[in-house]
Amino acid sequence: MGLRVAIVGYGQTRFEWDAEKTREEMVFEAARKALEDAGIDREDVCTVISASTDFLDGRTISNCMLIGATGAYLKDESKAEEDGMLAALYALERLLSGTHEIALVTAHTVSWTFNPHQVSVYMLDPLFDRQNRYLYDISIAAIQAKLYMNRYDVSEEQIGMVSVKNFRNAAMNPFAYMKLPDITLDEILNSKVYAEPIRELTMAPVCDGACSVVLATEEKVREITDNPVWIEGVGNCADVYIRDRDLSRLNSLQVAARKAYKMAGVTDPYREIDVVELTERFAHQELMAYEALGLCREGKAKNLIEAGLTEIYGDIPVNPSGGAMAGDAICATGLLRLIEAAKQIRGEAGRYQIDGAEKAVAHAQWGLAAQKNVVFVLGGEV
Amino acid sequence: MSGIVRYEGAPFVARFGWYAGELMEKFVKSLAEKKLLATRCPKCGYTIVPPRIRCVKCYTKLGEENLVELSGKGKLLSYTVVHTIPDGKGGFTDLDKPVLLGAIKLDEADSTIFAVLGEVEPEKLVEGLEVQVVWREETKGELADIAYFKPVG
Repeated sequence: MGLRVAIVGYGQTRFEWDAEKTREEMVFEAARKALEDAGIDREDVCTVISASTDFLDGRTISNCMLIGATGAYLKDESKAEEDGMLAALYALERLLSGTHEIALVTAHTVSWTFNPHQVSVYMLDPLFDRQNRYLYDISIAAIQAKLYMNRYDVSEEQIGMVSVKNFRNAAMNPFAYMKLPDITLDEILNSKVYAEPIRELTMAPVCDGACSVVLATEEKVREITDNPVWIEGVGNCADVYIRDRDLSRLNSLQVAARKAYKMAGVTDPYREIDVVELTERFAHQELMAYEALGLCREGKAKNLIEAGLTEIYGDIPVNPSGGAMAGDAICATGLLRLIEAAKQIRGEAGRYQIDGAEKAVAHAQWGLAAQKNVVFVLGGEV
Repeated sequence: MSGIVRYEGAPFVARFGWYAGELMEKFVKSLAEKKLLATRCPKCGYTIVPPRIRCVKCYTKLGEENLVELSGKGKLLSYTVVHTIPDGKGGFTDLDKPVLLGAIKLDEADSTIFAVLGEVEPEKLVEGLEVQVVWREETKGELADIAYFKPVG
């Protein structure tokens, strides 16, 4: 990248269930915190990109009523459907085009508006797959988990270890919804089964929340902060619909990661990356992501989790914040990974801070069985 | 619940309708004759079921001349035992009897289809198991004509 862009501010609401706030209040809170964190006013923002999904908001053109909440009134404003990390990508592209200097990105989901798992049915091909009432995000993820487990001889215990790690990490995160500091593998493996092997505690708990980041181009960055988090690389890739995809691999994540690493000059992620924040909508997807992100060879993710290498104290900590398991506010979940990665580099992650974190990877996914994946590589001031 | 009143739904029921497209329509109508149709790409050979008018791998235009009939047999790639499904109202419902859901690669085709498995106990399920389509008693040219898949033999 010739022009450089950095994250100069962030903010989030506490993730919770049945939030007694309007959607607009929630987004306002996150956006305001991000602007305060950056130390700028809403007048300084040139472009505003929000992320939400009409189906989850229960209204169409769901960004319309957010104009006030994000300070986008009479400004350049747009919306990215799906995850907030795609809104960040959209904002990044606008800044790199040279037309804007400061962008505000927000994302939110209020899960209690309507069950997101029910909404997942609307991602299915209406003419064939939607006629099958047993097919929805969880049963599709279950089929994916089985394929992955079968291919590399991965056990339910090894998948459960991801949940144990992330729920325990979440207990140190003041904004997390699901905090289970004393959770055991036994409890994970005995939780309610939805579709084998997916259980209540091997899927990310849906919840309500909003988050927001401020991005700026280099010249503005120098005026705003001494502690910028630079976007060093980015990759985005979408795979085909579930019927024609190899569900046992996250191929689109692998492509996205390679693009991002190439741009950032990362050649050996295991050694060069200090911390990873990824979107594990289901626990097995975290293991699949280790491989797609190049943290280990194919089929070896189970060794990373068993050896504790992705724990906070490990060689390559993954999801020290608790990841999506800490609370999945659908559209906000991936953007929050970007915030958590930035937090680590700024040394502001509190009890789950990774000492000396200088380079971080953040990941977001969207679609059935993670059809679409986005990867950001972030780095501190050198 | 707090002071927030839950909105009980719009004053209409969205019964979406879609144009299926010529090939998909043929696929559905052929079910009446207990036939499973797919499109085979003349360029790369990738065979798509249900049929589509563009190859998902190489984007070649496909038409009626590319339709092929499948045997209705296939291999089980993966499966799950479904215990709970969305109830259509925003909650979940536990099934009285868990349902076996398979990911099946039909012989002569490359796509994976997802279908209910019957006449088999979950313990008997294994990746690679040969399965075949079971038609409902009276086929009418509807998707429901495919009752389920069962092990071959």
